[in-house]
Amino acid sequence: MKSKESIFKNKLTWAVIAELLILAVAGILEPGFFSIEYNQTTGMLYGSLIDIINRSAEITIIAMGMTMVIALGGTDISVGALVAVAGAFALKFLRWDVTLYPTPGDYTVYPFILVIVVPLIICTLMGLFNGVLIGKFKLQPIIATLILMVAGRGIAQIATNGKQFTTGYTPYRFIGQGSLFALPFPIIITIVVCVCVMIFVRKTAFGTFVESVGVNPNASRVTGLKSDRIIMIVYTLTGFLSGIAGLIYSSRISSCDSNNAGVNYEMDAILAVVLGGTSMTGGKFSLTGTIVGSIIIRTITTLVYYFGITSESIMAFKAAIILVVIVIQSEPFGKWMATRNARKQKAGELRG
Amino acid sequence: MDRDVILTMRGIEIQFPGVKALDGVDFTLRRGEVHALLGENGAGKSTLIKCLTGVNKMDAGKIELEGKEIRPTDPKNAMDMGISTVFQEINLCDNLSVAENIFIGRQPMKRGQIDWKEINRRSNELLERFHVHIDVTRPLSQFSTAIQQMVSIARAVDVDAKVLILDEPTSSLDSDEVKKLFDVMRDLKAQGIGIIFITHFLDQVFEMSDRMTVLRNGKLVGIYNANEITKLELVSSMIGKDLDQIFDLKRAAQKEDAAMMLEANHIGVPGKVEDISFGQKKGELLGFAGLLGSGRTETAEMIFGVTKMANGDLKIAGIPVKIGEPMDAINHKIAFCPEDRKRDGIIGDLTIRENIALALQARRGMMKPMSRKEQDELADKYIKLLAIATPDAEKKIKELSGGNQQKVILARWMATDPDLLILDEPTRGIDVGAKAEIQRLMLQMCEEGMSIIFISSELDEIIRCSNRIIVMRDGKKAGELNGENCTQADIMRIIAGEKVGETA
Repeated sequence: MKSKESIFKNKLTWAVIAELLILAVAGILEPGFFSIEYNQTTGMLYGSLIDIINRSAEITIIAMGMTMVIALGGTDISVGALVAVAGAFALKFLRWDVTLYPTPGDYTVYPFILVIVVPLIICTLMGLFNGVLIGKFKLQPIIATLILMVAGRGIAQIATNGKQFTTGYTPYRFIGQGSLFALPFPIIITIVVCVCVMIFVRKTAFGTFVESVGVNPNASRVTGLKSDRIIMIVYTLTGFLSGIAGLIYSSRISSCDSNNAGVNYEMDAILAVVLGGTSMTGGKFSLTGTIVGSIIIRTITTLVYYFGITSESIMAFKAAIILVVIVIQSEPFGKWMATRNARKQKAGELRG
Repeated sequence: MDRDVILTMRGIEIQFPGVKALDGVDFTLRRGEVHALLGENGAGKSTLIKCLTGVNKMDAGKIELEGKEIRPTDPKNAMDMGISTVFQEINLCDNLSVAENIFIGRQPMKRGQIDWKEINRRSNELLERFHVHIDVTRPLSQFSTAIQQMVSIARAVDVDAKVLILDEPTSSLDSDEVKKLFDVMRDLKAQGIGIIFITHFLDQVFEMSDRMTVLRNGKLVGIYNANEITKLELVSSMIGKDLDQIFDLKRAAQKEDAAMMLEANHIGVPGKVEDISFGQKKGELLGFAGLLGSGRTETAEMIFGVTKMANGDLKIAGIPVKIGEPMDAINHKIAFCPEDRKRDGIIGDLTIRENIALALQARRGMMKPMSRKEQDELADKYIKLLAIATPDAEKKIKELSGGNQQKVILARWMATDPDLLILDEPTRGIDVGAKAEIQRLMLQMCEEGMSIIFISSELDEIIRCSNRIIVMRDGKKAGELNGENCTQADIMRIIAGEKVGETA
């Protein structure tokens, strides 16, 4: 029963088409946009396309969790703050007390393992905190996650005494700036994370459970699903993933910046999910779609930078393109297209 | 033509996907009359009201208000024409003042500003008429449910109502409050307003109404004058007998020496059901009869752990068990097809395959996923076994008709291979053919040793299928009958509250 029509009704198809269109525009305006070069000294591939995927890493990783949050009919607006938290705690363990170790250099005060694991644990616990509020105490997700959205940056500030620490520690800088198999390391992390999440979601029954709770929590409970537990797992996972994204971000800039790290990430992540075809009302979700969505967002940003459009107008430009993509995916638009096509077909039949 | 008639509905037809919700229903309302609209759930009462208030569009039929044909487009439009509705749940704004609630959306203005003095004065005046003396500037939430109910009625009649629809107005009131409400209804009657009164409480129907219209399965059964019909006759006309439905069904033979499956000792939840005790043998089909709200569903939900049992204890196969969550019940091999299929049964956006596999998957746990092949086989097996009408298992369940949705839910639980299956109104709102198939299936499963609790409002199918019947009334077990040799009249007598010798 897979007809041509059903392919065009598929939101993922539209997302891919949108991405290709945006790239085509870029290619026409600037043929050099697609060139990819191998740099002998750094052993890394360079080019706009590589850059797009590299820079989309944080949002893609967060959006993996956000996809399931949204599939449950919720939202998590604390992810941006958690990015700041992860960076702050990583730098805290790298530098500890800046009065004792005043100059940033290629060293770490605490073992590297703690630098990585502690921020991830803290972010995971914060995710669990969200999950408990929403799953157990039945708070509205936007309110529950608002708490950490606000408090998270405060905690990040406290961790570094309100200072912006920087580091020159090579292993830490490798996370965001290094490369493996000629690819920027964030891309490798993203691939590993996406594959792990997809295996977890689709090779166990977890994905179906999430969709089921998202569509009808009452019926899911009567069917024997423990919806509060599922909700807690999803928010905890999202916290953990935000932590990974936070490490990548802070490693890219070799420092932590509690005020600016991860700002608007929650919006970009939600947008990536929606662009990927998952409905905000919950239910069926598509992780692949989310990856495409995240890449679209980054493509637009990169394009804007590439063509030297002033940074003031970036937001408006981004909004315009996203508006078009979302309207095309909307249900009334789909229906309108369908009736238009039907009418055309009918007219054609009459003429024939 | 009767001069006193204020509202006539003639030949109303409404078609819902797969079901004719209303089939040529007539209804007339006179000036100054309280007219009860009766029928079991799904009979079409609320559809008729929705049709009158413009929520549902009718496919055929005519509505006349004071001799003029009308076609209400939405509740606001109906209200402008003089048809006001007070819904079961009070839909007022708790945080606004009483006066604001009465005038919301139509505040009197003075020099471009809301005239608060006028609002408060008129609100006071209006409530005086209902003998309600309160400070109308205080927020609504500070008053009792009864007062809130009065306020919503006051609002409804202040818009110059000719017809007032009261949908289950007494369900959240205590007896004193009901008395107050009835006084108000009598006042309104005296003012010449026609009142349509929907309720499940038969005593109140007889106390208040002048005439009654009874619907069943979307069809008009009869119009009666209140002083010309007995309660028993009314119950029988509401529940009806499917005369055209003669099935070659044979009740599963009950083995005398069968082991005990389920024992319930004085189970209850305060305020819902109290002190229910019964036993059920293996392979026995135990029917639960009673009107809606009599505690049948609540009992089932307790056994399955949807509602937490407050008192009493359960034994399964002689062993005491604790069931606090549906998962616990599932682990004890109990299954439950809920009454409200849409709310508690189907996962609308998921496919038939996913819906069927869900309960089994939930029992297995997350980490032991069923392979796609296993799911496909399961789905195909039950689609064939239950004759589910669908092109394939990948269709979304919400796109199926009610009867087929019910079969999918049944399949979901059959797949878990339960020892005890609880079916709450499994045949409601589905067509006659699917009904018969589901009944046949139940009996067959009992024959194979499954125990079934069967809840239904339709007495004939309860009698036809059950080995034993428990009759519920007002949250209590009112009687127990042997399925082999009881009649509908026996059950109705217990439902209507007449004392009869109970056979165990």
